[in-house]
Amino acid sequence: MPRTYQPGDTFTHVRECDRYRPIYYAGASGDYNPIHIDPEAGAAAGLNGNILQGLCTLGWVVEAIAGFVEDPGRVRRVKARFSRPVRPEDTLTFQGRVTHVQDGRLTAEVTATNQRGEDVLKGAIVEASIE
Amino acid sequence: MALDKRFIGREYGPYRYTIGEEKMREFTLALGGAKPGAGTPGEPPAHVSPLLYDEQAAKAGPHGGLIAFPSFAVVFAIRPFSAAIADPELNINMQMLVHGEQDLEFLDVMRPGDVMTTTGRIADLYERARMGFVVVTSESRNQHGNVVVKGTWTAIIRG
Repeated sequence: MPRTYQPGDTFTHVRECDRYRPIYYAGASGDYNPIHIDPEAGAAAGLNGNILQGLCTLGWVVEAIAGFVEDPGRVRRVKARFSRPVRPEDTLTFQGRVTHVQDGRLTAEVTATNQRGEDVLKGAIVEASIE
Repeated sequence: MALDKRFIGREYGPYRYTIGEEKMREFTLALGGAKPGAGTPGEPPAHVSPLLYDEQAAKAGPHGGLIAFPSFAVVFAIRPFSAAIADPELNINMQMLVHGEQDLEFLDVMRPGDVMTTTGRIADLYERARMGFVVVTSESRNQHGNVVVKGTWTAIIRG
Protein backbone atom coordinates (compact mmCIF):
# COMPACT_ATOMS: atom_id res chain seq x y z
CA MET A 1 0.00 0.00 0.00
CA PRO A 2 1.67 3.25 -1.08
CA ARG A 3 2.24 5.80 1.60
CA THR A 4 -0.03 8.85 1.55
CA TYR A 5 1.03 12.40 2.32
CA GLN A 6 -1.00 15.28 3.70
CA PRO A 7 -0.48 18.96 4.42
CA GLY A 8 0.82 19.29 7.95
CA ASP A 9 2.92 16.09 7.79
CA THR A 10 6.42 16.68 9.19
CA PHE A 11 9.90 15.22 8.81
CA THR A 12 13.25 15.76 10.50
CA HIS A 13 16.85 15.20 9.43
CA VAL A 14 19.94 15.88 11.56
CA ARG A 15 23.47 16.31 10.18
CA GLU A 16 26.76 17.14 11.78
CA CYS A 17 29.34 19.20 9.88
CA ASP A 18 32.39 17.34 11.17
CA ARG A 19 35.77 19.02 10.98
CA TYR A 20 36.78 17.68 7.56
CA ARG A 21 33.34 17.69 5.89
CA PRO A 22 34.06 20.89 3.90
CA ILE A 23 37.18 19.18 2.51
CA TYR A 24 35.35 15.93 1.70
CA TYR A 25 32.59 17.93 0.04
CA ALA A 26 35.19 19.95 -1.88
CA GLY A 27 36.69 16.72 -3.19
CA ALA A 28 33.34 15.36 -4.30
CA SER A 29 31.87 18.57 -5.71
CA GLY A 30 34.91 20.44 -7.01
CA ASP A 31 34.20 23.52 -4.88
CA TYR A 32 37.69 24.22 -3.52
CA ASN A 33 37.12 27.92 -2.76
CA PRO A 34 39.74 28.55 -0.01
CA ILE A 35 37.09 30.05 2.32
CA HIS A 36 35.67 26.51 2.59
CA ILE A 37 38.83 24.49 3.13
CA ASP A 38 41.32 26.85 4.76
CA PRO A 39 40.52 28.48 8.14
CA GLU A 40 43.12 31.21 7.50
CA ALA A 41 41.61 32.10 4.13
CA GLY A 42 38.15 32.21 5.77
CA ALA A 43 39.47 34.49 8.50
CA ALA A 44 41.16 36.75 5.93
CA ALA A 45 37.79 37.10 4.18
CA GLY A 46 36.22 38.21 7.47
CA LEU A 47 34.38 34.94 8.03
CA ASN A 48 36.02 33.98 11.31
CA GLY A 49 37.37 30.67 9.97
CA ASN A 50 36.35 28.35 7.18
CA ILE A 51 32.69 27.78 6.37
CA LEU A 52 30.83 24.85 4.82
CA GLN A 53 29.82 25.10 1.16
CA GLY A 54 26.22 26.36 0.99
CA LEU A 55 25.51 23.69 -1.61
CA CYS A 56 26.45 21.01 0.95
CA THR A 57 23.80 22.38 3.32
CA LEU A 58 21.39 22.46 0.38
CA GLY A 59 22.26 18.82 -0.35
CA TRP A 60 21.29 17.95 3.23
CA VAL A 61 17.90 19.58 2.62
CA VAL A 62 17.56 17.27 -0.40
CA GLU A 63 18.49 14.30 1.83
CA ALA A 64 15.71 15.32 4.23
CA ILE A 65 12.99 15.28 1.58
CA ALA A 66 14.48 12.23 -0.19
CA GLY A 67 14.21 10.26 3.06
CA PHE A 68 10.66 11.45 3.64
CA VAL A 69 9.44 10.34 0.19
CA GLU A 70 11.67 7.23 0.41
CA ASP A 71 13.33 7.74 -2.99
CA PRO A 72 15.89 10.39 -3.98
CA GLY A 73 14.68 10.05 -7.58
CA ARG A 74 11.38 11.67 -6.59
CA VAL A 75 12.89 14.98 -5.49
CA ARG A 76 11.89 17.66 -8.00
CA ARG A 77 13.04 20.93 -6.53
CA VAL A 78 15.02 22.56 -3.74
CA LYS A 79 15.34 26.26 -3.12
CA ALA A 80 16.89 28.25 -0.26
CA ARG A 81 18.71 31.38 0.79
CA PHE A 82 21.92 30.89 2.76
CA SER A 83 21.37 33.22 5.70
CA ARG A 84 24.14 32.24 8.12
CA PRO A 85 27.44 30.39 7.68
CA VAL A 86 27.73 26.76 8.76
CA ARG A 87 31.03 25.96 10.45
CA PRO A 88 32.95 22.80 11.24
CA GLU A 89 31.54 21.18 14.41
CA ASP A 90 28.07 22.64 13.83
CA THR A 91 25.10 20.28 14.04
CA LEU A 92 22.15 21.15 11.83
CA THR A 93 18.56 20.13 12.36
CA PHE A 94 16.31 20.21 9.30
CA GLN A 95 12.58 20.27 9.98
CA GLY A 96 10.13 19.97 7.13
CA ARG A 97 6.39 20.54 7.03
CA VAL A 98 4.21 19.67 4.05
CA THR A 99 2.28 22.71 2.82
CA HIS A 100 0.61 21.41 -0.37
CA VAL A 101 -0.24 18.07 -1.90
CA GLN A 102 -1.61 18.35 -5.42
CA ASP A 103 -1.45 16.48 -8.73
CA GLY A 104 0.97 13.87 -7.43
CA ARG A 105 3.41 16.39 -6.05
CA LEU A 106 4.08 17.61 -2.54
CA THR A 107 5.60 20.88 -1.45
CA ALA A 108 7.19 21.36 1.97
CA GLU A 109 8.80 24.21 3.85
CA VAL A 110 12.07 23.36 5.56
CA THR A 111 13.88 25.11 8.39
CA ALA A 112 17.54 24.49 9.15
CA THR A 113 18.93 25.50 12.54
CA ASN A 114 22.30 25.04 14.18
CA GLN A 115 22.94 23.80 17.72
CA ARG A 116 22.35 27.34 19.04
CA GLY A 117 18.90 27.45 17.44
CA GLU A 118 19.99 29.96 14.79
CA ASP A 119 18.57 29.63 11.27
CA VAL A 120 21.20 28.91 8.63
CA LEU A 121 18.70 28.93 5.73
CA LYS A 122 15.78 31.17 4.90
CA GLY A 123 12.72 30.43 2.79
CA ALA A 124 13.74 26.85 2.04
CA ILE A 125 11.21 24.85 0.07
CA VAL A 126 11.32 21.40 -1.48
CA GLU A 127 9.06 19.62 -3.94
CA ALA A 128 8.77 15.90 -4.64
CA SER A 129 6.79 13.63 -6.87
CA ILE A 130 4.63 11.19 -4.88
CA GLU A 131 3.02 9.19 -7.71
CA MET B 1 30.20 46.80 -5.52
CA ALA B 2 29.41 48.33 -8.88
CA LEU B 3 28.09 45.82 -11.39
CA ASP B 4 27.68 46.79 -15.00
CA LYS B 5 24.15 45.92 -16.13
CA ARG B 6 25.23 45.66 -19.76
CA PHE B 7 26.49 42.15 -18.94
CA ILE B 8 22.93 40.95 -18.26
CA GLY B 9 22.16 38.35 -20.91
CA ARG B 10 25.77 37.26 -21.42
CA GLU B 11 25.83 33.51 -22.15
CA TYR B 12 28.24 30.80 -21.02
CA GLY B 13 28.67 27.29 -22.43
CA PRO B 14 27.73 24.85 -23.73
CA TYR B 15 29.72 22.65 -21.35
CA ARG B 16 29.70 18.88 -21.71
CA TYR B 17 30.01 16.47 -18.79
CA THR B 18 29.77 12.66 -18.74
CA ILE B 19 28.41 11.28 -15.48
CA GLY B 20 30.65 8.60 -14.01
CA GLU B 21 29.37 5.96 -11.61
CA GLU B 22 32.19 6.25 -9.05
CA LYS B 23 31.99 10.04 -9.09
CA MET B 24 28.24 9.79 -8.38
CA ARG B 25 28.90 7.40 -5.52
CA GLU B 26 31.67 9.58 -4.08
CA PHE B 27 29.40 12.60 -4.10
CA THR B 28 26.52 10.76 -2.42
CA LEU B 29 28.77 9.41 0.32
CA ALA B 30 30.79 12.59 0.93
CA LEU B 31 27.56 14.55 1.25
CA GLY B 32 25.97 11.74 3.26
CA GLY B 33 28.61 11.78 5.99
CA ALA B 34 30.91 8.87 5.06
CA LYS B 35 34.58 9.14 5.89
CA PRO B 36 36.49 8.72 2.63
CA GLY B 37 39.96 7.21 2.62
CA ALA B 38 42.57 6.13 0.14
CA GLY B 39 40.88 3.72 -2.28
CA THR B 40 37.39 4.00 -0.80
CA PRO B 41 34.60 6.58 -0.64
CA GLY B 42 33.86 5.29 2.87
CA GLU B 43 31.09 3.23 4.45
CA PRO B 44 27.57 4.43 3.64
CA PRO B 45 25.77 5.91 6.66
CA ALA B 46 22.39 4.25 7.38
CA HIS B 47 20.31 7.22 6.19
CA VAL B 48 21.76 7.14 2.65
CA SER B 49 19.47 5.42 0.14
CA PRO B 50 21.01 2.25 -1.40
CA LEU B 51 19.48 3.37 -4.73
CA LEU B 52 22.43 5.79 -4.86
CA TYR B 53 25.35 3.40 -4.31
CA ASP B 54 24.32 -0.29 -4.25
CA GLU B 55 24.05 -1.66 -7.77
CA GLN B 56 22.02 -4.73 -6.79
CA ALA B 57 19.51 -2.84 -4.65
CA ALA B 58 19.20 -0.13 -7.31
CA LYS B 59 18.57 -2.72 -10.04
CA ALA B 60 15.64 -4.09 -8.07
CA GLY B 61 14.40 -0.58 -7.21
CA PRO B 62 12.04 1.90 -8.88
CA HIS B 63 14.60 3.20 -11.41
CA GLY B 64 16.02 -0.14 -12.55
CA GLY B 65 19.60 0.92 -11.80
CA LEU B 66 21.80 3.37 -9.96
CA ILE B 67 20.78 7.03 -9.98
CA ALA B 68 22.73 10.11 -8.98
CA PHE B 69 21.87 12.05 -5.86
CA PRO B 70 19.75 14.98 -7.17
CA SER B 71 22.15 17.74 -6.14
CA PHE B 72 25.05 15.84 -7.73
CA ALA B 73 23.94 18.04 -10.63
CA VAL B 74 25.82 20.96 -9.09
CA VAL B 75 29.10 19.26 -10.06
CA PHE B 76 28.50 20.17 -13.71
CA ALA B 77 25.53 22.57 -13.68
CA ILE B 78 27.56 25.14 -11.69
CA ARG B 79 29.88 25.73 -14.62
CA PRO B 80 28.15 28.81 -16.16
CA PHE B 81 27.87 30.36 -12.68
CA SER B 82 31.58 29.73 -12.02
CA ALA B 83 32.44 31.17 -15.42
CA ALA B 84 30.31 34.27 -14.83
CA ILE B 85 31.71 35.17 -11.42
CA ALA B 86 35.26 34.61 -12.70
CA ASP B 87 34.61 36.56 -15.92
CA PRO B 88 37.43 39.13 -15.99
CA GLU B 89 35.13 41.73 -17.51
CA LEU B 90 32.85 41.58 -14.44
CA ASN B 91 35.88 42.22 -12.23
CA ILE B 92 34.49 40.52 -9.09
CA ASN B 93 36.62 40.20 -5.95
CA MET B 94 36.28 36.47 -5.26
CA GLN B 95 37.42 36.93 -1.65
CA MET B 96 34.29 38.95 -0.98
CA LEU B 97 31.92 36.60 -2.76
CA VAL B 98 29.47 34.31 -1.00
CA HIS B 99 26.80 32.02 -2.40
CA GLY B 100 23.57 33.78 -1.46
CA GLU B 101 20.73 31.76 -2.87
CA GLN B 102 20.08 28.61 -4.88
CA ASP B 103 17.17 27.11 -6.74
CA LEU B 104 17.47 23.69 -8.42
CA GLU B 105 14.78 21.85 -10.35
CA PHE B 106 15.20 18.17 -11.14
CA LEU B 107 13.07 17.10 -14.07
CA ASP B 108 14.40 13.57 -14.39
CA VAL B 109 16.88 11.19 -12.78
CA MET B 110 20.55 11.06 -13.83
CA ARG B 111 22.32 7.75 -14.49
CA PRO B 112 25.92 6.63 -14.97
CA GLY B 113 27.03 7.35 -18.54
CA ASP B 114 24.56 10.18 -19.12
CA VAL B 115 26.14 12.98 -21.13
CA MET B 116 24.99 16.35 -19.84
CA THR B 117 25.24 19.61 -21.75
CA THR B 118 24.89 22.79 -19.70
CA THR B 119 24.32 26.32 -20.86
CA GLY B 120 23.69 29.41 -18.76
CA ARG B 121 23.33 33.16 -18.80
CA ILE B 122 23.55 36.14 -16.52
CA ALA B 123 19.88 36.74 -15.70
CA ASP B 124 20.39 39.76 -13.45
CA LEU B 125 22.95 42.06 -11.86
CA TYR B 126 21.89 44.50 -9.16
CA GLU B 127 22.89 46.23 -5.97
CA ARG B 128 21.04 46.19 -2.68
CA ALA B 129 22.18 47.45 0.73
CA ARG B 130 25.62 48.22 -0.76
CA MET B 131 26.07 44.59 -1.80
CA GLY B 132 26.25 43.29 -5.36
CA PHE B 133 24.04 40.45 -6.59
CA VAL B 134 24.88 38.24 -9.58
CA VAL B 135 22.08 35.94 -10.77
CA VAL B 136 22.89 33.18 -13.27
CA THR B 137 20.39 30.71 -14.72
CA SER B 138 21.43 27.32 -16.10
CA GLU B 139 19.86 24.51 -18.06
CA SER B 140 21.34 21.00 -18.36
CA ARG B 141 20.17 18.53 -20.98
CA ASN B 142 20.97 14.85 -21.24
CA GLN B 143 22.05 12.96 -24.37
CA HIS B 144 18.38 12.52 -25.36
CA GLY B 145 17.94 16.30 -25.50
CA ASN B 146 15.70 16.40 -22.43
CA VAL B 147 16.16 19.16 -19.87
CA VAL B 148 17.05 17.35 -16.64
CA VAL B 149 18.23 20.16 -14.37
CA LYS B 150 17.43 23.85 -14.18
CA GLY B 151 19.29 26.13 -11.81
CA THR B 152 19.15 29.70 -10.55
CA TRP B 153 22.39 30.68 -8.85
CA THR B 154 22.80 33.88 -6.85
CA ALA B 155 26.15 35.22 -5.65
CA ILE B 156 26.47 38.11 -3.21
CA ILE B 157 29.51 40.35 -3.25
CA ARG B 158 29.95 41.86 0.19
CA GLY B 159 30.96 45.47 0.67
